[in-house]
Amino acid sequence: MLTLILRRTAFSLFSLLVVSLVLFMLTRSIPDSPARIVLGDQATEQQIAEFDHDHGLDRPIVVQYGSWLRRLVFGGDLGRSFTSGLDMNKQIAETLPVTMEIVVVAFAAATLVSLMLGTLSALYRDGPIDYLARSLAVLGVSVPGFWLALVLILFFAVDRDWFPPGGITPFRQDPLGHLLSIALPCFCLGCFYLAVLTRMTRSSLLEVLGLDYMRTARAAGLHPARVLLYALRNAMVPVVTIAGVSFGHMFGWALIIEQIFNIDGMSRALLTAIQQRDYSMVQAVVMMFTVVFVGANLVADLANGWLNPRLAAAS
Amino acid sequence: MRRLLDRSRRMVAYCGGPAGFFGACIVVLLLVMTLGAPLIAPQDPLAVSIVDQLQDPGNSHWFGTDQSGRDVLSRVIWGSRASLIVSGCAVVIGVICGVPIGLVAGFFRGGWLEQTIMRVLEAVSAIPILIWAIALVGIFGVKDAHIGPVTISNATKLLIMLGLLYIPTLARLTYTSALGESQANYVAARRLQGVSGVRIMFSDVLPNCLSPVIVQATLLLAIGIIIEAAISFVGLGVQPPTPSWGNMLASARDYLLSGEWWLSVFPGAAISITVVAFNLLGDGLRDRLDPRHASAQMTR
Repeated sequence: MLTLILRRTAFSLFSLLVVSLVLFMLTRSIPDSPARIVLGDQATEQQIAEFDHDHGLDRPIVVQYGSWLRRLVFGGDLGRSFTSGLDMNKQIAETLPVTMEIVVVAFAAATLVSLMLGTLSALYRDGPIDYLARSLAVLGVSVPGFWLALVLILFFAVDRDWFPPGGITPFRQDPLGHLLSIALPCFCLGCFYLAVLTRMTRSSLLEVLGLDYMRTARAAGLHPARVLLYALRNAMVPVVTIAGVSFGHMFGWALIIEQIFNIDGMSRALLTAIQQRDYSMVQAVVMMFTVVFVGANLVADLANGWLNPRLAAAS
Repeated sequence: MRRLLDRSRRMVAYCGGPAGFFGACIVVLLLVMTLGAPLIAPQDPLAVSIVDQLQDPGNSHWFGTDQSGRDVLSRVIWGSRASLIVSGCAVVIGVICGVPIGLVAGFFRGGWLEQTIMRVLEAVSAIPILIWAIALVGIFGVKDAHIGPVTISNATKLLIMLGLLYIPTLARLTYTSALGESQANYVAARRLQGVSGVRIMFSDVLPNCLSPVIVQATLLLAIGIIIEAAISFVGLGVQPPTPSWGNMLASARDYLLSGEWWLSVFPGAAISITVVAFNLLGDGLRDRLDPRHASAQMTR
């Protein structure tokens, strides 16, 4: 198990290193330099050279990458934006929790419901629950979340006023209102993953239930609930992998959902940065997302090592 | 009559069952709609008419009109072009670049080449596609780029980037099959015949690795349509006035609270139907071509 942890962690760090290098090169290779954006077209060569010198942009790109990485790893410091001068740590600290809440709630709800639905659907195969679960699964993967959001706003916030059409009510101000205001965004975000995970749980559990050791367990007179528990433990391996990937992807889709519901999360930070051509901010936000994505995959891998010790032994 | 029935049965089996066949039919209809847009669309999708602003769906405009009086039905029909071109070309780029990479890594297994390619591929798989696509379009700007005499529109940039982001998935998929195939007896037999490694790789191993790639490509088409729509929705994809389902939804958002439902319902329905069609076809093809991976899953 220890080997698995070390191996996977080392690999995740390596991935992050490669990806951050690619990202850094890309943001530095754009035609309009930060100096041009800040100083405008009238700036003289000398002014631009001064700006570059002040911000360390005249150093070789590898050196710039090195110092950026050093500050990020040792100080958790994303630095200041070259163009707006804003402290990016502060920007992210303000917006990340908002996005995080929506993603975590949507993820938790989608995982719980899909585990129950997938299990029931596998146990009562070809029954009404199974058909319901399978139709939901096809619908869920095909309806894009942002369209679902528009339709739900139209239906539940415009035609009836059950939910607010956008924005988030602060929890301190009105706890119930807060829950209502995040309900629709979380639902729209979670739908796709609910469908994917339900399908995965169902097919994986069906596969495991058909194996020989399950028949042995039943023949030995084990309580059906206990048999199901054993089956679930093994059936969870592919589900956990997909759940890990899903968690990372949900952050991406949260951007779009936040945009529709006018939520001041990471989407506002990223899209404003893009509009203002603030590439250091874009770089910081994308790096954050990539860290979350890689981290979620790592957690999923380790959880699988714990669920199924054979995987840990194999590495 | 009997022959017709026989043939249709074979067509259904070819698509992996009735659901896959249904998906294939919708895909064909969509292609006809895309290619025949100038003939099928009742009106010019760009024709502005102040008198006809925001009309309800009715006899003269089946899907109503938008804020500039443009016919929504015609825009949905023309919008299919943007969606299908972006997602189709992206998949083509992904397949053309990704498959050879995976093939080489899998065929020349056990060498530094395999190690290097696979480590790099695994590392870049840590890239969440949607966020990177948004960021890259953002970094390179939404304006048309000019390289010499060639003008590159934003849609072109988007499809190239999506294609590049697809490479790791497709390369790893090909690698897995190529790894298995390269150990098969027929490869050893071809070697004994004195055929060169590269030739065996392309003429013998490659065709046997394509089934999972075809399935994945179909599913990626569905994902590409959603991603294109999402990126156009946040204003970084296909630029107005050119219609695309995503940017139609984006402008529909401003009319949501005032109750012009047809602006958001029809383009969104078009996206959903297209995605359902590609998903059904992909699942059907998987059942037929790639039964070993019948439980494999996609995520976006």
